[in-house]
Formats: sequence, structure tokens, C-alpha cells
Amino acid sequence: MTRKKNASISATLATATCALLGTAPAAPVCAQEIDRWDFDTSLLYYGEDNSRVQDASIGLLATRDFLDDRSLSLGLTVDALTGATPSGANTQPVAQTFTRPSGKSVYTTPANELPLDDTFRDTRVALTANWQQPLGRMYSFNVGASASKEYDYTHVGFNARLARDFNNRNTTLSAGIALAMDDIDAVGGAPTPLSPMLDVGVLSNRMDSESKDVFDVVLGVTQVFGRNTVAQFNYSYSDASGYLTDPYKIVSVVDGITGDIVPRPPTPGVDGPSHQFLFEGRPDERVKQSFYGQVKHYMSGKVLDASYRYMTDDWDIESHTLDLRLRWPLGSERYLEPHLRYYTQTEADFYTVGIVDGQVLPAYASSDYRLGNFDGITAGVKYGWKTRNNHDFSIRLELYQQRGDIPANLLIGNQAGTVSYPDLDAVIAQFAYRF
Amino acid sequence: MQKMILRVAALVAVVCSTGCSSLGVEPWDRDILAKDEMQLVTDPMEAATDDHIYFSKEASSGGRGFGGGGCGCN
Repeated sequence: MTRKKNASISATLATATCALLGTAPAAPVCAQEIDRWDFDTSLLYYGEDNSRVQDASIGLLATRDFLDDRSLSLGLTVDALTGATPSGANTQPVAQTFTRPSGKSVYTTPANELPLDDTFRDTRVALTANWQQPLGRMYSFNVGASASKEYDYTHVGFNARLARDFNNRNTTLSAGIALAMDDIDAVGGAPTPLSPMLDVGVLSNRMDSESKDVFDVVLGVTQVFGRNTVAQFNYSYSDASGYLTDPYKIVSVVDGITGDIVPRPPTPGVDGPSHQFLFEGRPDERVKQSFYGQVKHYMSGKVLDASYRYMTDDWDIESHTLDLRLRWPLGSERYLEPHLRYYTQTEADFYTVGIVDGQVLPAYASSDYRLGNFDGITAGVKYGWKTRNNHDFSIRLELYQQRGDIPANLLIGNQAGTVSYPDLDAVIAQFAYRF
Repeated sequence: MQKMILRVAALVAVVCSTGCSSLGVEPWDRDILAKDEMQLVTDPMEAATDDHIYFSKEASSGGRGFGGGGCGCN
């Protein structure tokens, strides 16, 4: 790309960002200093086994450093998603028929196969804008906006962060807040939580557009420990409220003795579910707290990057995440970076593998595997190199694996032999070019 | 619980703005810390990609930064 074209794109990006952020101080800067941008570009493939979710994604991050440590960054990501995802219904030794989320047709899962909702197809476009500048000699300020659009989901968010340096700039304290306002326009309408899956064409238990708001606070300390070591510690508080239910996930209705699914009498002349299923229902509020620590240590050219996060929430989920990367230089222009990540979480207190037929409905219930009890392991490697004109290339290949267990106290009767956690194997391949 | 967390956060802030004053380096010793590979986030695109993937597949998000909203996948 020529410098002239870059300048033209830069001018357009700068104008758009000034309008989006509405930052008056940025305006004269945008008008005067638009001669050079740095671009991070990325191509990503994420693919799960057994025809589950596939994502092809392109990403662009444009960053412009101005005088006096001010900088502007603009991001664009486009995801094309296809594939199938577990609906939440139990695997059974009989075929099961489900009404699609649209309510317009049915699909059938063969006996002994995991029920997958195969109507998953979406394109997601996400935009971010961020402006950073010093405030006086010791403070820095950062303000950002984000927006994304999917077929059934719209997100708008804002964030701001203030940081202050201490101790000869060896210590930095920071505080940030973020607000997200999301709208859910589920295909066929968002179902009333814990209402039954109905026949084709019957949408009486569907609601109009739903919404959720998320408020985040992050308090952080960054500390230089020596010439070779820097560390960061964060505390995060996140409050999500509104429609937190997944409108496409369902729960099987089961017999209280055998644990088998319960047949549903067919309506003559109309397609509909073969058994009783309920749409899932989650609480309308969730408070999460995280403690995060990261250390970067330089060892004769090699860089160790280690981080740990503990998360707990009021849905009774606890998680631990350990992430290790070692950047290993191969000469002065190339490097290899192995990566290992371990994640483990406990199940939500309303996670279940069946609602017992004939009993009073629980307040909340979900069989979403992401709220279950599982471990996740990611292992991979990145290879990066620098060109003669100082452009950076990198390519990484990683494997992500989820293995879960359903706690024994949740299993009823025959479920011990038929129902299991839907394990996942996925590949992550990413190519990045920075110029 | 929240009061306790606020107290811990305040304590960390006080300790790090006073007690940590003996830690760190002089400005002329920042050559290594200034390297690209020593920044806390070396590859923002990769970090954003990973945050998005794990947000979609796990019940946890955030920690390093903000973790809320932005996707219908969870």
C-alpha cells in the first residue's frame, strides 16, 4: 500500500473516530497529524470437531501515535460463523425431534447422538475506538467505545481508564470502568424462561427484543520489580443484569426415577417436538469478581509471560486460569513462542441435566455445557519473524480441548450411562501481519 | 465480602504507592523493559481474539481487562 493511500485512509479513519468519540481535544490533532498509522491485521480460523462451530475471522487494528504520548486506535473485526452447537438436550437411546428456534420447522437427532442445534449461522461485525493521552505529568487517560452487530444481537459499549505513575514511574495505579448495553433479538423471539418447546408455528411463549447491561470496574497495579521483571495485578468487578438467558438453549424434562426423557403427545397434522423440552432460564443478574496477576520476566533474550486469574460469581461458578508463554528468540529477527493454558471451572448452582416431570419448576435451570463442570487445555506455538522493512509476521497454531464431568448428584437413574458432558476439541490457527 | 475486597484494594494501593518505592529501576535502566516483547500485552490482536474465543466457550471473562458484553455467544 502506498503512503498516499495510507494518508487517505488515515484521514477517513481519523474523521470517523473523532466523530465517534466526540473528543474535542482530539479534533485538532486528527486534523493535523495524520501522516502515519501502524496496522495490525489478522486472519483467524477457529474450528470445532464433529461439525460444531466454525469461525473464519478477519481483524484490523489501526494505531496512530501522536506527539506527547497521545495515541488513537481503531479496530474492526468480521466473523463468519457456521456449524452446530449443543442445544442442552440430553443424549438418549431414542431419536429426538425438536422445533427449530425460528418455530418454522423441526429437526431430528438420531438415537445415541448429542442433540446439536444446526441452525447456527451468523456474521458478526465489531468496531472499537480508543483514545489515550497523558493528563499532566503523572496521569494518563484512556477512553474508548465499542459496537458490534450480529443477526440477533447488538452491542454498544463505552469505557474509560485513569492511571497514575508513582515511584519514578516504577508503580502505576489504574482504575477503569466500562458499560455495555446489549440488545437480544432472538430468531423467532426470545422464549419465556422455562416455558415449553411448542409445535411448529406456535410462538405464544416468545417475547420481543430483550436487553442486558453490563457494568465493569477494574482496579490495577503495575509494578516494575527490576531491570528484567514487570508485573500487573488487577481486581475486576462485573455486574450483568437483564436477559442473561441463552434464548436457544433447552433443558430435557426427565422421569424422576429412570432419568429418561418424557414423550410428548403429538398434535395431529402438525410437526412438533417428540419429547418434553423447556427453554432454559437463568437469573437476571450476575455479579462476577476476578483477581488477575501477570508477570513478565526477561532471561537473556527469552521472555517468560505467566498469568493467573481466579474468578468467582454469585451463580456459584469458580474458575482458575493459568497461562504460560515463553518467547524464544531465533537470531535477532525470528522467534518461537510456545503457549500453554489451563482452565478449570465448577458448575453453576442451577446447572442441571434434566427437570423432573411433575415437580414444581425450579427458579432457574440450564444445561448449557459452558455453565458445567469442566477443564480446558490449550497448547500451541507461535512463530514470528521480521522483514527487512521492519514489518512483523506471525503464525500460530493451537489446540483447545474441553473435558467435563457431570457431578454424580445431578444424575438420575439411567442418566449415569447415557448422559455425559459434551467434550470439545478445537483448532485455532491465526496469521498476523503488522506494518 | 465486598468490603473486604475494597480494604484489600486500598491496602495494595497504599503499599504500592509507598512501600514499593524501594522497588524498580532508574530511567536509564529501562532498556529491557522498553522492548516490545516486554510489554504486558505484546500482541493486542491475538489478545482480543483469545478473549473472544474463551468468552464464547467458558463462563469466565475479563481479568486482564474489561470482560462484559459484546457478543451473543454467552
